[in-house]
Amino acid sequence: MAYQVVPRDPHTQSDGVVPGYAQTARRWPSQPLQRRPHGAAELGAPRGLERRLPLLRGDLAGRGAKRALGQLIHLRARVVDEDGAPLAGALVEVWHCNAAGKYIHANDSHDAPPDPNFYGAARMLTGDSGLVELRTIKPGAYPVPDAGGWWRPPHVHFSVWGRVWLARLVTQMFFPGEPLNESDAILNAVRDPEARARCIARLAPTAQGPANALAYEYQLVVRGRKAAPGMP
Amino acid sequence: MKRLIASAEMTTGPFFPREFAQGANDLTVLDGKKSVGEVIEIIGRVTELDGTPLDNLILEIWQADAAGRFDNPEFLGWGRAATDANGVFLFKTIKPGVSEGRAPHVNFLLLYSGLMRQLQTVMFFEDGPDPVLDAVQPRSLRRKLISQKKGNIWTFDICLRGEGETPFFGD
Repeated sequence: MAYQVVPRDPHTQSDGVVPGYAQTARRWPSQPLQRRPHGAAELGAPRGLERRLPLLRGDLAGRGAKRALGQLIHLRARVVDEDGAPLAGALVEVWHCNAAGKYIHANDSHDAPPDPNFYGAARMLTGDSGLVELRTIKPGAYPVPDAGGWWRPPHVHFSVWGRVWLARLVTQMFFPGEPLNESDAILNAVRDPEARARCIARLAPTAQGPANALAYEYQLVVRGRKAAPGMP
Repeated sequence: MKRLIASAEMTTGPFFPREFAQGANDLTVLDGKKSVGEVIEIIGRVTELDGTPLDNLILEIWQADAAGRFDNPEFLGWGRAATDANGVFLFKTIKPGVSEGRAPHVNFLLLYSGLMRQLQTVMFFEDGPDPVLDAVQPRSLRRKLISQKKGNIWTFDICLRGEGETPFFGD
């Protein structure tokens, strides 16, 4: 059955230019975005992307006794499309800072210590039910330089490939109950409160989780759906 | 069936891992085997308002093979590059062929700190006709999508905002 990608609902997406996030006004285009017809390019996608982007770690929390510092967590992220159909074999990239709020990146000038046992980036494939699972530690909060006291709440970056070129998704996952969620310029750039709520992970019942880690569940919905029967 | 709403996109932030972009900008070799077709390089410089170059901006491309096919398992058609401190990126690839009523083209996707959503644009090798190029309005913007050839190097500069702004697709 044919697959289609319909325009985004702007209310459920971030604005391009965001108050309090100065760089957005230097980078988001001033002209309206163009529309184009969708054909083999837009509704196609590379198969077997892991041949170009090799899988990388499935655990960011260290090896054996050399454990990363911080609250051990177990992430369960499910990738589905707009029909709710799980994507099996989809490539997922995850990255985040350590428990002190420091990224493994030369450009991070934050005065927080690195953690030699923490691995900041993973690349995995979803299983048949669209699920990736990752053991890691809960990232810390950190201040944004020269931004008037803006602190980023703890968050995890996700990069996901959908079924078609137009379905690429790069987003961030937030943690429930974090006071900094209320003032974060990035999370609050999504105006619809329900869409914002979907950016926050759910803490799984602790009685069912791993004995030594908190489990968080998250759903990533990539663009695209089956075209209704009878449609041209 | 109940429709789900696509997740809100968010910026990559400034700390996209360097290792995620390493070694993925050469589309001419896959699993140690060379792909068929004319080898070209695509280079360009990415700038923001006032022409300032952008460092560690991520570009992903998606294109047909030399015969215009998007589903060739021997040629993935996908690559990723990061800009350097001068805002410059480089892809080594195969010149795409004509496909399904489309002129040869390379689809671009940009991710960066301060970009709240991905930006998509399309690079062409010469002026149309092409249904995507022809959809760009006003017409005067179309020339921004046509790259400049010098030997086997095609230059495609991208300006996110301001004078000389590149047209982007929001579909």
